[in-house]
Amino acid sequence: MQRETRIANFVLGAISALTLLLLSLPLSTPVRSFKAGLGYVLNPFAYHGETGYQRVAGSPQRIRQLLRADIENEALRAELRRGEWLATTVSALSLENERLRRALALKTPAGRFPAWVHVMERDPVHWYRSLVVDAGADRGISLNDPVLGPREGRLVAVGRVVDVRPNTSTVLLLTDELSAAAAFLSSGTLEGLVQGQDGPRLRMNYLNAEASLSAGDLVYTSPTSATFPPDVLIGHVARVNPRDPFLTFQSVEVAPAADASSLQELMILRARPLEGEGKPPAYTSAFSPVIVPAAVATSTAAAVSSPPQASTMTVPRPRRRAPAKPAPVQPDDAAAFEAVDPEEAR
Amino acid sequence: MIGFLRGFVLFFGAMFLQWWWNTHLSYWGAAPQFLLVLTILIAARRGPVLGMLAGFGWGLYLDVARAELFGASALVLTLAAYFVGVARRQVDLRAAGPLAATTFLFTWAAFVGLGLLGLIFTKSFEWSGWISVVSTPFLNVVVVTVASLLWDARGDR
Repeated sequence: MQRETRIANFVLGAISALTLLLLSLPLSTPVRSFKAGLGYVLNPFAYHGETGYQRVAGSPQRIRQLLRADIENEALRAELRRGEWLATTVSALSLENERLRRALALKTPAGRFPAWVHVMERDPVHWYRSLVVDAGADRGISLNDPVLGPREGRLVAVGRVVDVRPNTSTVLLLTDELSAAAAFLSSGTLEGLVQGQDGPRLRMNYLNAEASLSAGDLVYTSPTSATFPPDVLIGHVARVNPRDPFLTFQSVEVAPAADASSLQELMILRARPLEGEGKPPAYTSAFSPVIVPAAVATSTAAAVSSPPQASTMTVPRPRRRAPAKPAPVQPDDAAAFEAVDPEEAR
Repeated sequence: MIGFLRGFVLFFGAMFLQWWWNTHLSYWGAAPQFLLVLTILIAARRGPVLGMLAGFGWGLYLDVARAELFGASALVLTLAAYFVGVARRQVDLRAAGPLAATTFLFTWAAFVGLGLLGLIFTKSFEWSGWISVVSTPFLNVVVVTVASLLWDARGDR
């Protein structure tokens, strides 16, 4: 205890002397330097303490802001998802609208009652064979009705109806091996039979063995076709097969104009209207061909002797007889428009 | 080493607590003097030497913030620790009551001491204001009671 007292007295004396010196000489350089040094050491303590306090004190507000931002973020994300879905829907509707707008401008063959249908189902195993559409007997569809599809602003041959159910129908595509359609080449008067091969290409048989054929010729349905109206584009010649010396005819490969993988809306040309649908549109096409079956053989000879046509996709209309009184095109368009099922037009 | 770290944390923690309370929790100048209370508590529990050293350091910290009387708080806290060391030979300062009474008296003594030092060295009595002078001893008593309970709760007498 005595030792502690002595030490305490000594410490008290030293500290008292020091503090009295500090108090007595507040303006002297050593004291000011000592105070400045002490401030230099201890001031950051208060400074950083205040900074930390401000940071901590602001935390609840920042947390509230963070929570509010998170809620707002969630709401915006949901809105963005809705917007994306809306954009997707608008895009799909825009594409459909564009297709339908082009389809409405298409001319439909005379004497037929067109009905626009949607492709409802297709079987990947039978991709080139058939598909199912969403119209059946309820829409006046009947067996062997020709089915056309829009392609770059015109109607092209797709197939025919082979099965009619109350609300749906099965369409046999031209590419099915059981399909066949009489056709002619645009470069001349060569007629042949286009047959499916269960693949992406068609085969056109029974072309004159002596005829000069070239790739690129357009292939149209013939007036002799039992199913299709005449002059409907089937495709173009993709390849001329080498002549077979054992056959009396030539054949070519035809690339169909209707791509089986991109069919969405189709036009079925009904033979009879539904009740209350009215008469078929008075379609007097300037391009309506005159069918002269007997002339096929003679015209084939003429085609053989004629120079080969240029291989191009934009070929002038082939083998047409000028009509006695050309009909204006505009009324035909109007008639075609009227012929479209109003429900479909909507 | 642990003791040194504990002392280091206590020394700077007390300074931080005093600064924080003075800055953000004092109203009309009424705030407990944590540094004085801890100086008294250390002197009462660990002897006057350690109390004087801690009081001198904390006093310098308080003096740095002053424009005048640099060293006054250091001297007052050192003297407080010394006299608490003297008093603990006569009074059992480990009991809550004597400790609270000692703290109460030394708080006023510190006010008076600072005033007298101001009178001596700056020719003006350092007056802290009635609110501070009246309320601070009671606040210090509360703080020293809580601090001694915590000290005892750690089993460190």
